[in-house]
Amino acid sequence: MSHDAHAESHEEHPPTTIREYVMIGFVLFVVTVVELWVSYNEQILGSTMIPVLFVLSAFKFAVVVAMFMHLRFEHSLLWKLFSFGLILGTAMIIALTALFWHDRTDAVGGPEYHTGSTQAEASAPGGAAPAPAKH
Amino acid sequence: MAAAAHETQPATQHATTTGIDNRKVMMWIFLASECLFFGALISTYLIFKGDSLVGPYPKEILNIPVTSTSTFVLLMSSLTMVLAVYGAQHGRLGMMKVMLLATILLGLGFLGFQAYEFTEFVHEGLGLTTNQFGTSFFVLTGFHGTHVAVGVLYLLSLLVASNRRTGLGRDRALHIDIAGLYWHFVDVVWIVIFTIIYLIPN
Amino acid sequence: MATAIGVMTHAEEDTGLWSWLTTVDHKRIGAVYTVAGFIFFMIGGLEAVAVRTQLAVPNGTVLDADRYNQFFTMHALTMIFLAIMPMGAGFFNYFIPLQIGARDVAFPRLNALSLWIFLGGGLLLNSSFFLGGAPNGGWFGYAPLSSIEYAKTSGMTFYVVGLLTLGLSTLIASLNFAVTIINMRAPGMSMMRLPVFIWMVLVVAFLLILSLPVLTVGLLQLYFDRVWGTSFFSPATGGDPILWQHIFWIFGHPEVYVLILPSMGIVSEVLPVMSKKPLFGYSAIVFAGAAIGVLGFGVWAHHMFTTGLGPVPQVVFSASTMAIGIPTGIKIFNWLGTMYGGNIRFVTATYFSVAFIALFTIGGISGVMHASPPIDGHHQDSYFVVAHLHYVLFGGAIMGIFAGLFYWFPKMSGRMLDETLGKIGFWIMFVGMNLTFFPMHFLGLAGMPRRIYTYDADLGWDTWNMVATIGSYTIATSVLIFVINVIKTMRKDKDAGDDPWGGATLEWATSSPPPAHDFDVIPEVRDRDPLWYDRDHGIARAAVPEHNHIHMPPPSYFPLIVALGALLIAVGSMTHLSVLGLGAVIAIYGVWGWALEPTD
Repeated sequence: MSHDAHAESHEEHPPTTIREYVMIGFVLFVVTVVELWVSYNEQILGSTMIPVLFVLSAFKFAVVVAMFMHLRFEHSLLWKLFSFGLILGTAMIIALTALFWHDRTDAVGGPEYHTGSTQAEASAPGGAAPAPAKH
Repeated sequence: MAAAAHETQPATQHATTTGIDNRKVMMWIFLASECLFFGALISTYLIFKGDSLVGPYPKEILNIPVTSTSTFVLLMSSLTMVLAVYGAQHGRLGMMKVMLLATILLGLGFLGFQAYEFTEFVHEGLGLTTNQFGTSFFVLTGFHGTHVAVGVLYLLSLLVASNRRTGLGRDRALHIDIAGLYWHFVDVVWIVIFTIIYLIPN
Repeated sequence: MATAIGVMTHAEEDTGLWSWLTTVDHKRIGAVYTVAGFIFFMIGGLEAVAVRTQLAVPNGTVLDADRYNQFFTMHALTMIFLAIMPMGAGFFNYFIPLQIGARDVAFPRLNALSLWIFLGGGLLLNSSFFLGGAPNGGWFGYAPLSSIEYAKTSGMTFYVVGLLTLGLSTLIASLNFAVTIINMRAPGMSMMRLPVFIWMVLVVAFLLILSLPVLTVGLLQLYFDRVWGTSFFSPATGGDPILWQHIFWIFGHPEVYVLILPSMGIVSEVLPVMSKKPLFGYSAIVFAGAAIGVLGFGVWAHHMFTTGLGPVPQVVFSASTMAIGIPTGIKIFNWLGTMYGGNIRFVTATYFSVAFIALFTIGGISGVMHASPPIDGHHQDSYFVVAHLHYVLFGGAIMGIFAGLFYWFPKMSGRMLDETLGKIGFWIMFVGMNLTFFPMHFLGLAGMPRRIYTYDADLGWDTWNMVATIGSYTIATSVLIFVINVIKTMRKDKDAGDDPWGGATLEWATSSPPPAHDFDVIPEVRDRDPLWYDRDHGIARAAVPEHNHIHMPPPSYFPLIVALGALLIAVGSMTHLSVLGLGAVIAIYGVWGWALEPTD
């Protein structure tokens, strides 16, 4: 018997059984199929497609981290440490895409900002605000 | 990074302050760091994907069925990985080794799909320097693929080491568990990349 | 290696070269870090003196424009990555285990690995001077100054590869320190009993762990641009130079706190001991440090106000930048509160600490001025910014490091540095520092731009430039006096004793220098200032058991092999694929041997 009880006594096992692991794998597979269906049926979901896809992939992300990486059964410290990176990484993606998105729209709306009124239309034909090639 | 993952220093003579093994704490902090690494690459992709001056554009070239298959392959490798960890934790060494081998093969399968995809793209005229989409796509998925390749080497070294006379030693379950954390993380990063690049192509 | 103590002898301690190359002892690694950092500090200082000599008079001819660009770029890179951070890392290595009551860091071999990669990276970066020209695009390497069209020499490739190498070393070290602090504390050492220095190291470690990967991505993209012809940062083909600025400063601003927080920690150790009273407002200073760490990630774009961010981002980043002044102010009041009413001993370490507070406050105030975008627009790229950053980095970080050197030198060597020479050196450095950098405020407001290699006579900049150059020679003199002080001190007998200052923290509870295993018995911590608590409550140090076998990790040469592999990979990425492949093979061999090496 190769089971070394001493070595594993201080190592808490996650209580998940093999059957449950396979079930989780199956659920992840099903969610991926749903994602594909959503992606191919943009006309049905319209503008809700992207949020739906993000929710579904966030669900998969959470299930893998909580169950397969058994963070759910771990000391809360590990979750806190990982969340530093996860939150900061997500915030950075949002901030950077927002900054560059803002960059593009800001220049288009530039005259409006500078005149501080709705006279933007009057000044726009002067070509004061050419849409920038980039940012 | 590989060096960090392979650290096998016995923790200390006395128990650690938090009761968690040092190596496990380090792997979780390292994964937090990796979030920022992929975060920066994903940001770059999102910023550049609409900035291609010439084609091919994402919608014209991305092959969803092929990549869905490779996504499925990677997902299943997570399942086999977790079963390898289960085997290691419950002393079922045969199961552990078979599942490690399965994970390695699935990982190689994913890399094969990626190699096929990259070759196809180049044939269809999308190279690294063709346009901004190509640049940011190849760099993002390429670095993810590098992580998978490092993971394959990592698991392979554990599989080889587990077949030595002494096996993986006292900390067997911990070694497999920590390798599993790395492997699953690479999988969840792909979940995000798959959604952002393939499912939301425009 | 089992060391039976009770026999307090260092006779079996090996001191040969091989023992240093294979050491995993955090004290030896810390000492090498500190010495190497100080040597790089002097190299970077000489580069600065050369730059100042060129600017002493109008139309100077000491350096041509190209060499000038290399010198100011290498001055910044050397001071930041090869001097201040490694000297900090030296203190971290040496004093984290001693202050938290551990026998070593969590991963002794990784510790050695980060040292060797750092030394390799430092040599790689400096070798560029002899291999076609050093980096010449400024330490933040803005595109297109860093792109292949405008930086044709290999200098900026050295910059990319050198910083990637140093980043790897720093990441490994930071992971190691974070785990050590979280997981290796002595019994009773709760988080809120940690010395403030350790708290600041923890914040620094997390700042680096979370910001370095972003720089890594930016550098890899720059590498792709330069070597493989992509256009991440060149607008002609759809790229965007502003993206580099964002990526760089998402790393770069946390990096600024990485440079200053260790010195804040050192001063928070020195002032209570020299004032003979506990630190005023411990929890406030800890939370302020953590707040600086968190806010530090949300202010990066204040370096980019003049790129046209748009009104909303300007307001957001302006507000977050002003907010970060609050925790900084809290710390300054706490240090003053610590000294207030104290029985202050004015030793050299106190001098440097007090100078730190004063000069850092000046730098902090001129910094928070730039939180206002209109003012920032006036100061951008002028000498005013140079004045600001040197008040923070020289007046702050370097003064703090010197305070630490004078405070901890007795612990590290067993010998007290000469106080008279120390004080003379301090005053020369203090005067020189202000002579050099204060006039730069005036120069900046008079319109002198940064990074120009010469200027005309009739611009009204002559006088202050001459004063600044005289100041730089004054600083060089003071550093020389410090070196003389160290040489003189190392020649005398050990005179420090275990606890020359009457310290409060655990490093003073062991011998000077400490034995390889740090503590004969792991101390038990009952208070935030454990030694003072034990002294006041008459608690004697625990007796050493008769048969006390302490297992220390054996020496290992695998860190050296892995570092050699990593260095060859770096060199190969600039030269030939075969070198890279060789490096990868060596690194993999090293990692494999490392994993199988017995450590018991």
